[in-house]
Amino acid sequence: MAYVATRGGERAIEQSQRLFRAEMGEITRERVAEIRRAMPYLVDRAMGEASLYDEDLAALALAQTGGEPYEAILLLRAWRTTQPRLQVAAPVRQEDLFTHRRISAAFKDIPGGQVLGPTLDYSHRILETGVLAGEAFVPPPVEPAAVPAPARQPSVAAWQAENGLLELPGDDAALGNEIPDITREPVMFPAKRAHTLQSLARAETGGVLALGYAAQRGYGQAHPTVNELRLAEAEIRVRHPRGTTFSAGRVKISQAEVVSKSGTQLGLGFAATLGWNEVKVIAAATLDLNAPGAEKGSATEEEFFVYHTEGVESSGFCIHFKLPHYVTFQSSLDAMRDAKAKKAATEKAPEPAE
Amino acid sequence: MSLATLTRAWEPMSYGFLDGSAKREVRRKMLKAVAVPGCQMPYASREVPMARGWGTGGLQVSCTLLNPKMRVKVIDQGADDSVNAASIRKFLARVSGAPTTTDTLEADLIQSRHRIPEEILREDQVLVLQVPNPEPLRPVQPNMSIARQMHADADYGRMWLQLYEQIVRAGRVMQGASYPSLVNGRFIMTPSPIPRWDVPKLHMAKHLTILSAGREKRLYVVPPYTRVEPLVFDDVPYRVEEHGGLTCTRSGATGFFMNEIPQDDGSSAYEISDSDFGVKSIRKREGEEVAFGATWYTGGEMEGQGR
Repeated sequence: MAYVATRGGERAIEQSQRLFRAEMGEITRERVAEIRRAMPYLVDRAMGEASLYDEDLAALALAQTGGEPYEAILLLRAWRTTQPRLQVAAPVRQEDLFTHRRISAAFKDIPGGQVLGPTLDYSHRILETGVLAGEAFVPPPVEPAAVPAPARQPSVAAWQAENGLLELPGDDAALGNEIPDITREPVMFPAKRAHTLQSLARAETGGVLALGYAAQRGYGQAHPTVNELRLAEAEIRVRHPRGTTFSAGRVKISQAEVVSKSGTQLGLGFAATLGWNEVKVIAAATLDLNAPGAEKGSATEEEFFVYHTEGVESSGFCIHFKLPHYVTFQSSLDAMRDAKAKKAATEKAPEPAE
Repeated sequence: MSLATLTRAWEPMSYGFLDGSAKREVRRKMLKAVAVPGCQMPYASREVPMARGWGTGGLQVSCTLLNPKMRVKVIDQGADDSVNAASIRKFLARVSGAPTTTDTLEADLIQSRHRIPEEILREDQVLVLQVPNPEPLRPVQPNMSIARQMHADADYGRMWLQLYEQIVRAGRVMQGASYPSLVNGRFIMTPSPIPRWDVPKLHMAKHLTILSAGREKRLYVVPPYTRVEPLVFDDVPYRVEEHGGLTCTRSGATGFFMNEIPQDDGSSAYEISDSDFGVKSIRKREGEEVAFGATWYTGGEMEGQGR
């Protein structure tokens, strides 16, 4: 005999999962391929937050969870953590990025030029309702420029540094396995620079936006100017055991530099992530810009934003409140009832009036 | 000689789910935590195939410790049959090949959320407690980095002040579960959200207790035969929940921590919270021969905890 049949509990779990999955039906290779093809920005966002660059796995995770992003990213993270680390790629430098889009709000024009690239920034946000009536939406073909923009361009910050407007951070000499890795060691504060940037890179987009927006609205000290926003592809260069360096392929990345007047120099905030996700990197760079000297416990303080933008941790904790808590609740009730009884006893027997 | 003869065959998953480097780190941190009782050790805390906050810290410790010869018991709120306990038990058994049990006496490793079983644990048993928030100072200092410094300095004045304020305002200490306790006379720890009823079970216990918070990436240990003293003032004794006099409506047993079950008529019924102990008590009442272990509490009182 049992309190509540154990098998009953296990059966309930099984059936609840079936119920969830029955909604979505069969998951096929075709469905995964279609998600990957049709929703590259959703796939990018998942890859960035999972810190795992694999479009097929990201599309599979989205298919498997019906597009529930927190679940999809947890799936990817849990998969990622079991994978062996075969190699650490060579550092990627800004000037080596294969750039698709690169804009600066700081200057009208910049060395290398403003490259608008793919964007909906100036689109009118109107639903193509005709699609629902059976008229397929066929995107008009792109007319290539007579002279293509240069694929590789210097950073705007480099120009500013040459002109004495800002001081670039020094090169980080750490290479290979010496690079601190947020997935293999706990973050401690004040955090290592690598840990902060890695945390922002895999932060949850909505969380980073909320805190970055708070900073932009005035809960931060520095108002960001987007020095440079870049969507690009980075070459992953690894070393073959025989000694030759070769490209293992390209990954899409986004990066943002934001600057703000800081005394006689410009302060610089930076963020980058896997996949193309402009909102995230601008918000994250804003947090980075505001972090130095931020008050402990404020939204722009490193410990605060690193912990609270971690999507897998924050979403997991939030939903854990669904778990039974009747023991802790009972314990609180006990203290509360006793305090109440004590209060009632003292109220019944008031001090005699003088 | 070929590569195949030198390496193991590819497997989709490591034994015990975690890879070798993750297990090595957890092992090292556990040893360190045994050496400094009650001190929180930061660890990387890998992602596991369960959501953060659902026992991922306990799970990583169990995955590291388990082997096919160990028998594992998993409880949540005292119950083996709670859905999350069932899910964790299934996962642990699947990745380690360890046999499972619901009987506290049979278990080598017990992973638990919010309870310590009523039967006294032995020297050969390990208790793994899931911890949502490893930082007892959080109510007085939400920044982990500052709290860490306070632990280093044994700067616990604000903890005492907090208890004092509760007594002044409410006439008693209002802390429910997670009662802050001093370990080995040095570090204040949170015993995880176990009820106050269970905290004295950790004091000079024969068994090893490992407390692990996966989301917060900290683990700490109460080694066997270590002092665990709830923070109390000399003139205001520690009080466990008033459950000593309650009787379980299902088994008739008295003197253990109970679940309160609201009744339609506005009253409450009670049942033993430790589900396996409750089942044993029912079987005993029905006349079956049942092996009970000695319990921490007898007649609703724990030795040395008299008021």
